[in-house]
This record gives sequence, structure tokens and C-alpha cells, in this order.
Amino acid sequence: MKLPFKTYHRLIPVLTLLLLILAAGVQAQERAVTIPEGSFHSVLPEVEGEPHQIDAFKLDTTAVTNGEYLQFLKANPEWRRSQISPLFAGSDYLRHWEEDLRIGDKESPDQPVTRVSWFAANAYCGWQGGRLPTLNEWEFAAQAMDFENSTEANRFSSELIGWYSAVDTNSKSEVGSTGIENQYGVKDLFGLIMEWVEDFNPPVADDISLDCGTVGRMQGDPTVYSYAMSIRYITRMSFKPKSTTGMLGFRCAYDMSANEKEI
Amino acid sequence: MKFFKNISIITFILFFIAGLMNLQAQTQEYKIDGMTFGMPEAKVYTDDYDGPPVVGEYVTMLPKLAKLDYEGNKHHHVRLDTFTQEIEVASGVRYRAWTFGGMVPGPVIHVKEGDRITFTMKNRSDEMVEITQPIAEMMQQSEGQGGPSANLEVQASVNGSESADPSPYLRQIRENNYMGTKSAIMPMPHSMDFHSGTVAKDDKWRTIAPGETIEFDWVANYPGTYIYHCGTPSVLMHTAMGQHGVVVVSPKDGYETDEKVDEEYVVVQSEYYLKKGSGDLYQYDFDAAQNKRPSHVVFNGHQTILHDQPLTANAGERVRIHFSNNGPSLTSSFHVIGGIFDRVWMEGHPFNEMRGMQTVLLGASNSATIEFIVPEEGKYILIDHEFADAEKGATGTLVAGPKK
Repeated sequence: MKLPFKTYHRLIPVLTLLLLILAAGVQAQERAVTIPEGSFHSVLPEVEGEPHQIDAFKLDTTAVTNGEYLQFLKANPEWRRSQISPLFAGSDYLRHWEEDLRIGDKESPDQPVTRVSWFAANAYCGWQGGRLPTLNEWEFAAQAMDFENSTEANRFSSELIGWYSAVDTNSKSEVGSTGIENQYGVKDLFGLIMEWVEDFNPPVADDISLDCGTVGRMQGDPTVYSYAMSIRYITRMSFKPKSTTGMLGFRCAYDMSANEKEI
Repeated sequence: MKFFKNISIITFILFFIAGLMNLQAQTQEYKIDGMTFGMPEAKVYTDDYDGPPVVGEYVTMLPKLAKLDYEGNKHHHVRLDTFTQEIEVASGVRYRAWTFGGMVPGPVIHVKEGDRITFTMKNRSDEMVEITQPIAEMMQQSEGQGGPSANLEVQASVNGSESADPSPYLRQIRENNYMGTKSAIMPMPHSMDFHSGTVAKDDKWRTIAPGETIEFDWVANYPGTYIYHCGTPSVLMHTAMGQHGVVVVSPKDGYETDEKVDEEYVVVQSEYYLKKGSGDLYQYDFDAAQNKRPSHVVFNGHQTILHDQPLTANAGERVRIHFSNNGPSLTSSFHVIGGIFDRVWMEGHPFNEMRGMQTVLLGASNSATIEFIVPEEGKYILIDHEFADAEKGATGTLVAGPKK
């Protein structure tokens, strides 16, 4: 189609405006990447031989930072430390921040936000036009690592277990700094914080009695990799929606369909 | 429309009744052979308690054990919070331990056969818990704070006996902080499993998240020395990280030799699986733990503590040691160089008596109450006679003075 120059000219402001609107719409998701559909084996009991199927979705490449969370609080006073309902978080919610809208000296804006409850994480992601990733989505993204062989995977997992038992929440790194990245460019799924997922305590958790033998029973294949995975599942299963800890933050996920509509 | 409304009301009432029946279905307390079973359901709640992390008049630091000073049975109120502390476990070796009460092993809880214990534990692993400040300050700090149970335990113990120290353990740490404890944060789910308690583990030994508190009762039905430990998976990791200790349940009718015993001690053997971390600190070595290759095997949590601060006695005296192998994974062949065990009560039960033993073999979470007569002035070495473990630290000294 050929349009006279004048028409083009007139379209420029309109196009610019359109672009701006689009940019605003996808701003929240600009750093999200698509995780294509696929399947994986989790450490939770499943029908034998049938891995979990995962539909394609989008996931933030980094965890939500203090700075980003501050913007959320500015726009949503009801989630500020002094305003939040005790139904939605314990008294340690954002304890390490200086004030409602001041991060303070203890942490930088680029460190991942922690001591946020599941309710708060949910609200943040909703505000961004997304949601928390499901447990299976998160784990599916987390296992999409490029290991050369199983020895390498086990060495990595062994280090990871070391991290679970020696994490220093008083000096967390900034997001994107761990150097750990999955095949799709999602960073810090390990080694920075633990992360909320939508169904952190799935119904099957009640059947998995947490005791001395649980790790052994959960491990489908007795590798260090699945051992590390079990520890992660078990730790998550102990949380309540109100729980907050200095080690627990989150990142958001987005449905593919939702994105298509906006774009 | 009205019909539906009625249905919903009826449904509601039915649910309500079902709920009540569910409550009533809790096990009632009952007795078998003089022992008490059927404890009330554990309570899990959230409060702002930040007072003394260890409370209990009969909760003390290793290794000295005082005789119980009360007649008959007692209802104890014990608080033992779980939290992270950086500790020294050998010269130059420090790591951030997961603790019950601030040290490894946790404190000794001393009760009598038949005693009832109301136990409270808050998971304070997301909190910097300072254990070396005076208890009065801690109590002041926590005043006016907290939910249903804040200060309850402190008051209970204080009221129980006016002059008693509500937390001798914390005083002992202040006086003798040989691990050089420093507070740290490492938020993890934790739980408490008392081998001395007979209960349903999916209720009482439940895992609680950081910030939560669990409260439950148990009755010391059997005499002996029993370990306690965190039962949250990976149990290997949680126990190797330091979450274990012992309960000494003195038999209600005593041991036959009670009148003759001069010194009474508690010695706990355990393993550490540590490797150098990124900074100066050490950290958990998963591979070593899986393959049962400890970096340190120790008595009372520290490689040299029982040499730096030896047990003491005099020639001619009868020494009693409640010895527990807390593992997590190895056996112990406990021996005293220069002595023969005059009595050995396996697991500390007075019925399980053996005599004239050189060594007592204990699996992980086995214990024995042993007695020996100190023959003459000099040094006696307590040792795990599995020498690979002895050379990793499982030794201690008893220094004997002249005969009195």
C-alpha cells in the first residue's frame, strides 16, 4: 500500500502515541522472557513415566528488587509496612527497610526485595499485569540449565546444597549478579534468594509426611540434583501465606495469552 | 428460594457439629503400666516474642549435671528457641550453626521419670538472637510485647520457685562462652523431635516456618538419656548443622549406686561435616555428610573443650557419665583410658545393667549411663575407641586429684 508523504507525516504523532501506550503496557514485562512449553520430572509423586506438562509462559529474568517494590508501595499504600493488614503479613514484613517508603542503608535498591509475604508478592505481580509462577513453572524454568553432563549437574547441586546451609541474608547480592542463568536468560534462580510460587504448598504436600525419610522418598532418581530439589520443595512447603523471611523474595510470571492481547 | 436458604443453614450447622466432633475426637489422656499417653494437640501460632530464647530451671549447659532438688513429679515449662549462631567448633574453625538455644549441642534438659513437660519453641532463624546479654535485659525487652504466650514460660518458672534462676543456661553461656557465639540469620523451617517423648510425630514434631512458635506436652515415661533433634528434612543436614541435644530422665527410684556417686556429667558425641567456605567461615559439606566422612568428631560440640576444660574428680571417687552418641551417622565405642566401667546402664535405664565393661558400643542416637571408679591421681582420657574418630577429635580429659 502506498500512502502520500503527507499522510505518513500526519501519522507520526499518532504512531508515537501508540508506541508509548504499547511501551507502558509491556513495561512490566520488558525483562520477561518466554519459556517455551515442555515437560519435566519433579520430585513430587507423579504418575509413573508421565512428566509434568508445562504450557509456554513468560517469566521475569530477575527477581523483583527493593527499588521496584518501592514503586509498588508508592502506588498502593495498603501494602506499606504501616498499612498492611495483619491478615496479609506478619510483623517482620519489610522489617529491614528504614520506613514505609525508604529502603534505608541496610540494603540497596538493586538487591532483591525480601521479607514479603505470599499475599504481597501476589498483589505486586497482579499490579504488573502478571501473577506468581506456579510451582511447576518455576521448577521447569529452573531445570532448564545447560549442564555438560550429569557430573557437572551434580557438582552444581552440591554447591547449591552448600548455599542452602550457609546463605548470608545480611549481605545478599544484587539481582543478576550470581552468574547463574538458564537457557532462556532467566537469572539467579539459584544462589540469591528463595522465591515464592503460586502453589508453594500443593495438596500433595499433606501426603508427604515431613520426616527423616522424606528426602529419600522424594528423590525419584538418587542424584544430588534431585536432593537439592527436595530441599527446595520441603522448605517451600513449610511456609504459610503470611510468612516472611530475609531469604524469601519473588519474581513474576505472565500468561502468553495476556501478553498477546496487550500487544 | 427459602428452601435453599434452609439447606445452607442446615449445611452450616452440620459442618459446625462435624467440627466439634472433630475436636472431641482428640485422644484422651490414658495410662498403661503407670505411664501416661495421649497428649493434647500441639499449638502452632505466631507472636512477637523476643525474650530469653532458653527458659527452664533444669535446663543447663554441658557437662556438669546437678541432682534434681524436688520430691515426686513436676510439671516443667521449657522454652528452647531455634536460631542461627556463628560458633567455634575447633581452633580456627567457625561456622553458622543451626542451634537449639545457641550452642551445639543444645542444653541438657534434666527431668524425672513421670514428669510432664510443656515445651515451647519459636523458630527465630530469621532474627538476630543475642544470647550473651543479661536475662533481665532480655525480659525487659520483651515486656508488653507478643501474643498469647509471650513471657508465659518465664513467669511460670519464676512463680514456680521464687529464688530460682529462670534460665541458668543463658547465665552459664555468659560465664563460659567457649564457642564465642555470634548471632546470625539463616531462615529455615525447623522442628523438634524429643526421643524421650511418646507422641504422634505428625502433630508434635511438626515443622514450623520462621516466625512461628510450636507448643506441646510430653511425659517422660521412660528413664534414661535421650537425644532430641530437628526432624525437618534433610534431617542429615539439620542435625549435622547442629540441631541436637539430650534430655536426661532420672529414674523415679534412682540407680542402685546413687548414694555412692561423687560426680555426675553428661558427654555428647557428634560429628561435623564442614569445609572451608568462601570467606573465613566453614560451611556444610554435603558430599562428606552423604559419605559419612566427618571433618570433626567431637565431645560436647567442640574438638578440644573437654581438654581445655577437663572433667574433674578425685582418686577413689565414683564418676557417673551419661554418654550419648548424637551422630548423625556414626557409631561410637566409648572407652575411658585407665578405667573400667563398673556399671553400664544401656540407654540409662536402670534395668539394662551390665558390669565390668571396657567399651560401650553405641549407634547413632544410642546412649549409656556409665560409672567408673577413679583409681588414682592423674589423667584419664575419654575416647571413642574407633581411632579414626578419636583422631578427628572425639576425646576428652578427666583430671583426678589425690584421694580424699
